[in-house]
Amino acid sequence: MRWVGAAAVVLAALTLASCKIVATSDVKALAETGAAKGAAPFDPDKMVAEIWTPKVVPHFEKRAGSFVEVRNLAAKSPDEAGAKYGYRPKSDGSPWTVMVRLEGVIVAADTESRAATIGVDASGQGKTDAAVQIGPAMRGTAIRDALDFVSFNDFTNQIDFARYGKAFNLHVNKSVLEKLPRDNLIGRKVSVVGAYALGAGDPPLVTPVEIKLGPKP
Amino acid sequence: MKLRNALAAALLASAAFAAPAMAADLIAVITPSHDNPFFKAEAEGAEAKAKELGYEALSLVHDDDANKQSQLIDTAIARGAKAIILDNAGADATVAAVEKAKDAGIPSFLIDREINATGVALAQIVSNNYQGAQLGGQEFVKLMGEKGNYVELVGKESDTNAGIRSKGYHDVIDEYPNLKSVARQSANWSQPEAYSKMESILQANPNIKGVISGNDTMAMGAEAALLAAGRKDVIVVGFDGSNDVRDSILKGEIKATVLQPAYREAQLAVEQANDYIKSKTAPKTEKQLMDCVLINSANAAKLETFALKP
Repeated sequence: MRWVGAAAVVLAALTLASCKIVATSDVKALAETGAAKGAAPFDPDKMVAEIWTPKVVPHFEKRAGSFVEVRNLAAKSPDEAGAKYGYRPKSDGSPWTVMVRLEGVIVAADTESRAATIGVDASGQGKTDAAVQIGPAMRGTAIRDALDFVSFNDFTNQIDFARYGKAFNLHVNKSVLEKLPRDNLIGRKVSVVGAYALGAGDPPLVTPVEIKLGPKP
Repeated sequence: MKLRNALAAALLASAAFAAPAMAADLIAVITPSHDNPFFKAEAEGAEAKAKELGYEALSLVHDDDANKQSQLIDTAIARGAKAIILDNAGADATVAAVEKAKDAGIPSFLIDREINATGVALAQIVSNNYQGAQLGGQEFVKLMGEKGNYVELVGKESDTNAGIRSKGYHDVIDEYPNLKSVARQSANWSQPEAYSKMESILQANPNIKGVISGNDTMAMGAEAALLAAGRKDVIVVGFDGSNDVRDSILKGEIKATVLQPAYREAQLAVEQANDYIKSKTAPKTEKQLMDCVLINSANAAKLETFALKP
């Protein structure tokens, strides 16, 4: 069973390189790693680690739109922006989560709080267009919620689904954000791929999947 | 085309004669006790939508007793209900009861609380309790100034919502080492129980700065105990978005709560039941989450019966 699951993941990873459709068997494989029917103990960190490089990052690379473009379209029509750059499980009561490519200059940095953020100016106006969570404490479940191949239906309950959502934050924190310097960030260029929920706050709070800092000014 | 016209005419006719002689189809609405305004609002939302769609509604309460719930499901089956809207009495204990209804050919549409099984109910429409609890937790941290001793009142253990809200709170609060939990107790969602628990917690820990509660009725109980002890200074945050807590916020007592779209959830469940009864269309996904909204002094005035006025 395990082997079949693993094969399905590998297969899906291969398919994904050229195609965006995700095999149903893969979703099942995801569930069978422990979430749904409880054969193996539920291990969200392992589930996330297994799909991060083959599925999550490529999904973001493929779907993300330029932040300014997404923001402007969302201001006119959230549904249009959501459908083009994001995902929501259903129309009633859940917001769109959109994927963006944010390029700009760091104009603010709150590194005192454990839920640290940087403010990024993406339109050259000298003020924060988007805040980016840089951890170690991170809010929300934007990475999980941006993935159209993840469904609450495949989880026993909200608690497992929440642990799964948090596992994405822990993973990005460990693999990407921990390496980030915390001092003298203002003035540096930055490039972020990440997600945020539409309508959840202004400026939007982006949870990164990838982040690259430019050289010190 | 002809068929469609005939169908439309039939629908029109049935709408026109919704009230008279022939009894309307029945939808059973089963919830916990209406003592908690949350469940009352839910039941009323479901009943109103059922009547609007031409059904008769039968509203029943199980008082969080799984045996009573099982008997009420029997009643719904015996009365020939076409669907059951259910806010259940326990994530594990309810599975068999919903299964029983399913075997009798009656679909169940769950609201507010989950069960630990899929494929038994046709829908499980629940608030995004984790998202809501993170909102409440963040507001609590801000109100506390990121430090001080606090108390947590937890809901009924058999209800997944008690655990998920506590987890959402802690995933935020535990990031602040200067916030110290001095007591964590269940008051079983109950206002009187929260009052007495709060009284004794306060005696043992007079040096508390805040109370975070898993729902609004417990927040109301805690606030009353605090006021009775002359402790107007203690910060209280709830969860639900009841009119009682709204009024308390507007009086400057309780500081914040999190609105669950309970009324809308109940109506949505009836709409999905109606789709299934009329055209055998099941909801696209069984498990459905609806996001919550933070309520504090800035927007409390817009809150009415578990919905925000525009």
